[in-house]
Amino acid sequence: MIGERKTIASPLADATLTGSRPSPIDYRPVAVMPDVRIVKIGGQSIMDRGRAALFPILDEVIEARKQGIQVVVLTGGGTRARHIYSIASELEMPTGVVATLGKYIPMQNARMVQMLLAKHGGLFILPDDFEKLPLYLKLGCIPVMSGMPPFGYWEKHEAGSRIPPHRTDAGAFLSCEYLGVKRAIFIKDEDGLYTDDPKKDPNATFIPRITAKQLIERDLNDIVVERKVVEYLPRARWCKELQIVNGLKPGQVLAALNGEDVGTIISA
Amino acid sequence: MTKPVADDGRTHIQSLLMRESLQNRKVLSQTDSERDLKIFPDVSLVSIGGQSIFDRGKSAIMPLVEELAVVKRRHKMVIGVGGGTRVRHTMSIALDFGLPTGGIAQLVGAMEELNAILLNALLAPHGSMPMQRDHFWDLPLYFDAGITPIAISVPPFHFWEPPPMEGAIPMHGSDFGLFQLAEVLGMKQLIFVKDEDGLYDRDPKLHPDAKLIPKITLEELIKRMPTENILDEELYRSWHEAKNLRRIVIVNGLKPGMLTRALDGEDVGTVIEKTS
Repeated sequence: MIGERKTIASPLADATLTGSRPSPIDYRPVAVMPDVRIVKIGGQSIMDRGRAALFPILDEVIEARKQGIQVVVLTGGGTRARHIYSIASELEMPTGVVATLGKYIPMQNARMVQMLLAKHGGLFILPDDFEKLPLYLKLGCIPVMSGMPPFGYWEKHEAGSRIPPHRTDAGAFLSCEYLGVKRAIFIKDEDGLYTDDPKKDPNATFIPRITAKQLIERDLNDIVVERKVVEYLPRARWCKELQIVNGLKPGQVLAALNGEDVGTIISA
Repeated sequence: MTKPVADDGRTHIQSLLMRESLQNRKVLSQTDSERDLKIFPDVSLVSIGGQSIFDRGKSAIMPLVEELAVVKRRHKMVIGVGGGTRVRHTMSIALDFGLPTGGIAQLVGAMEELNAILLNALLAPHGSMPMQRDHFWDLPLYFDAGITPIAISVPPFHFWEPPPMEGAIPMHGSDFGLFQLAEVLGMKQLIFVKDEDGLYDRDPKLHPDAKLIPKITLEELIKRMPTENILDEELYRSWHEAKNLRRIVIVNGLKPGMLTRALDGEDVGTVIEKTS
């Protein structure tokens, strides 16, 4: 005789976990660390420009930290990521393998930024270290981590591309969403969002403010942040805004960290 | 060696994607093709249900362990386990607390690990080992040594679990996690061991007249998806976009021999095939 299921009584004991049925539980979400500011430093746009671009940005991050702003820095990949993606694509590697390869370069960049910020409290952290953030921030540290989400081999293939759809912009957005932070800040080398890539199309015009819905409807061939993030924004619970600022223009990063509306703001 | 290019202030390495935006659809489409590399095409992935098998205790678990001990001698396989009722209890409490989706995703894996430890303790004398998260490159070594690895089922999305379509429960559970494992490694098939004969048009536990679906293509199934489903929706969604995995089988683990027949390639239980 085979025994019955030994079930622990709970509102979800017999419910289907996925699917569209309403939850039997009254969900009142709690923000984990809403005062943190998550800022992502672009790989191709900033790191690959070297000292001239990065150092003034780090100075503004340090200044913000001195003002008491709790900054967590995430890093992007850049040209080395593109290089490995390109070779892996030629070899027809599954997207999950490509995403795993994609972890290494933002990690290098995070380590470089940590070395540069060390004397100001720069601290290299891993994805699982969110649980230690309260201590690090209380000590006045500037935690630095790779922006790449830890999906790795579990990254899904998306139609029409072998490149992992969740990259370091998604990591910044999802970090905000977990921590209960309202706005994710992206430091790039353009003033914000344009109607097309301004590096390729001189007629591209600047868009200071737009909603995710409007942006999806415009169906632009190229956009400045990962599409996944724009897709998630309307159904996010906490992270309702993406701010894109030009790190090559002095003062922009500090202004953004102070909560000012500079650059482009994409809202839910 | 290729020379770095620095004409625009950024230092680039030459490649197909050099200077390109990875959001540009035209650029992205150049990276894709019809096929993906299949890394372990002769390996089957077997998922042992949490609620359906482990929560029933010894009388359901032991016959399966004995069957696995025999069949593992002639099949290369990786085993995954579900978490069952403890996962649901965890989620109920966490939702009541108002914890974020990523926080819930971080918590649930521990409940499945308990089942993995139990299974490994029972199967170890016959040759089994828990596999570290993504230590796939050890698999040839495991198989040569006659060891069946027990994998972690939940995907490592953790704090980064994307916002769900609806509600706050993470979308990526163990069904998806095991699917993705079979998919990314290009495995032969994925077998779900449950306590029903397979997939029905309605939940057979609630509707005695529910009809078993013996064989169906994924495309047909998506067109008429049963609302009460034995597998997570996210699995079907992801499989639809995927390239490698062709076959998922759902068998009744309470009936001796069904898992063996599925591993032998027989059409038992419910067979779902992806044809495009």
